[in-house]
Amino acid sequence: MNNITRKCREINEDLLSIMTKTGPGYYVLVAVCGILAITLFWLPWAYQIYYGQGVTGLNMPVPWGAYLVNFVFWVGIAHAGTLISAMLYITHTPWRRAIARGAETMTLFALILVTLSVFVHMGRPWNFYWNFPYPNTRQLWPSFQSPLMFDVFAIGTYFTSSVVFLYFGMIPDFASLKHSSTGWRKDLYTALSLGWTGTDREWHVQGRATMFFSSFIMPLVVSVHSIVSWDFALSIVPGYNKTVFAPYFVTGALLSGFAGVIVMLTVMRRAYPVLKKYVTEYHYDRIGQMVLALSLVWSYCTLMEVLTGIYADTSLEKEHLIYKILTSPSMELFALMIFCNTFIPLVLIWRRVRKSAALMFLVSLFVLLGMWLERFLIIPNSLSRKFLPYFWHDYHMSWVEVSITFGAILGFITLFMISIKIFPILSAFEVKEDVGLPVSKEDDHG
Amino acid sequence: MDKAVLGVFGYADVMINAAKKVKEAGYSVSMLSPVPLVHEIEHEMGKRFDFLRFFTLFGGLGGFFGGTVFALGTAVLYIMPRGGRPIFAATPTLIISYESTILAGVLFTMLGFLMLCRLPYFKKKVFEEKIAIDHFGLVIEGVSAERFLSIEKMLTENGASEVRWVEKSTC
Repeated sequence: MNNITRKCREINEDLLSIMTKTGPGYYVLVAVCGILAITLFWLPWAYQIYYGQGVTGLNMPVPWGAYLVNFVFWVGIAHAGTLISAMLYITHTPWRRAIARGAETMTLFALILVTLSVFVHMGRPWNFYWNFPYPNTRQLWPSFQSPLMFDVFAIGTYFTSSVVFLYFGMIPDFASLKHSSTGWRKDLYTALSLGWTGTDREWHVQGRATMFFSSFIMPLVVSVHSIVSWDFALSIVPGYNKTVFAPYFVTGALLSGFAGVIVMLTVMRRAYPVLKKYVTEYHYDRIGQMVLALSLVWSYCTLMEVLTGIYADTSLEKEHLIYKILTSPSMELFALMIFCNTFIPLVLIWRRVRKSAALMFLVSLFVLLGMWLERFLIIPNSLSRKFLPYFWHDYHMSWVEVSITFGAILGFITLFMISIKIFPILSAFEVKEDVGLPVSKEDDHG
Repeated sequence: MDKAVLGVFGYADVMINAAKKVKEAGYSVSMLSPVPLVHEIEHEMGKRFDFLRFFTLFGGLGGFFGGTVFALGTAVLYIMPRGGRPIFAATPTLIISYESTILAGVLFTMLGFLMLCRLPYFKKKVFEEKIAIDHFGLVIEGVSAERFLSIEKMLTENGASEVRWVEKSTC
């Protein structure tokens, strides 16, 4: 058995051990997160449905509040998975292989929360199907010229494509795992592998399909968050009506997405030390460079957003900027956002910081907080100073909105933790590609 | 009755070399591997034709036209005048078409992948467990009893660590 063959076996064993070896700490954590997610997310939502939207801080002129902030935030988190899988695949970036699957899984659960955020935002969520065109007695179809309908199409396409891409990538791993597992896992992986055996024909088609998927999904990533930004930018509300929003939102989404990937990887490495063999300092270094670059672009876009408002030279824009940047408590939140997203990531200039999992984790937490604040300062904050002063109103999150926001985060953690025990967190065949092919020449060299 | 011959190899280059020789002898072969060997096989045996592109193209074009017809058809059937804006607006229609192009393109690519790989296929196939981990396999189907020995010899001489004459259903 040569070195590469040994490593290939090790990869399979490591992958299976992550899925099957479960300590009591895991069950306790899943139970705590699951119970808290139900208590903080589902129960307040049920309360809100029963008593109506009045239990939230939403009131005219601020009908868009924390739920849509969460919606945009989770769309952002969903972006890195697809970026790592698709864009880095097309550009033949080898370091994506060890982290792509985890990031894709994160995308899927983030997109579930995106959908849930919209449902929570709806006053009557049971009428969600009104968004779809179907023959009805009201003789109405949705307007496809509305950015909200663009959103339905974009998020729907993104969700479907992400599920297809994630499942498609797992098929060879399911086929590999079905041989080394027993019981219900064997039945499940046999069904999910669809009869894949790894013939030359199958691999050929798989390679081409990955290229086509990546080519489709790459522009989709850009379009989804651009469209999300147009929910705001196509209106005439001061603070929303900015042409810089599409690139600003896409950059912000990627920044928060990469920060999310770092948090996920660090927690996973801590929980499963075996992952340290595959997710190394090198990966942290590379993702750190991406975060630093994205932070600089984001900072530039933020400056442009402010300058555009100043150059507009209208009383409406000025009032909005004064409220956002010079009036408490927005002023403090704005300063905190800049601190988190512009100044803190500057420490990533030093390679030593980029290679430290603990420091990267810390920087990422700041970035995630900063990116949530960014959305908060755009969405409800702009509406608070909409047009004439008689219509001004400050928005404050109610306990229901705060609870649902934290419950969503815990729900995400619960779903992710359950998934790592069922679905492979590493793409085994891609990591094996990294190791290299077992070739006879290696043995000749000893 | 015709059966299949399965040769198991420890090394990718040895298996590809053996496959080339078996193919030259007039047999059709199928190579099994735990990792993609697309470039290595194409380097030795030439490029394969890519049928998947037609599924992708069909899906993409169908999605584009479907999305366009959907958005414009709605505008025709349910006219909503809005402050002098055009009923047939190109920009918002293109956004819907763009998304539906991607959606249908992805779904048809997946369909093409399944059809070209002949999946799902739940009947048993010629396979060996270690091929799923770190070995490589060469499958020659439709081999009669008289020919088995000559093929076995050919595979062994070309580096197979194990050669088996198997029913098509051996997983």
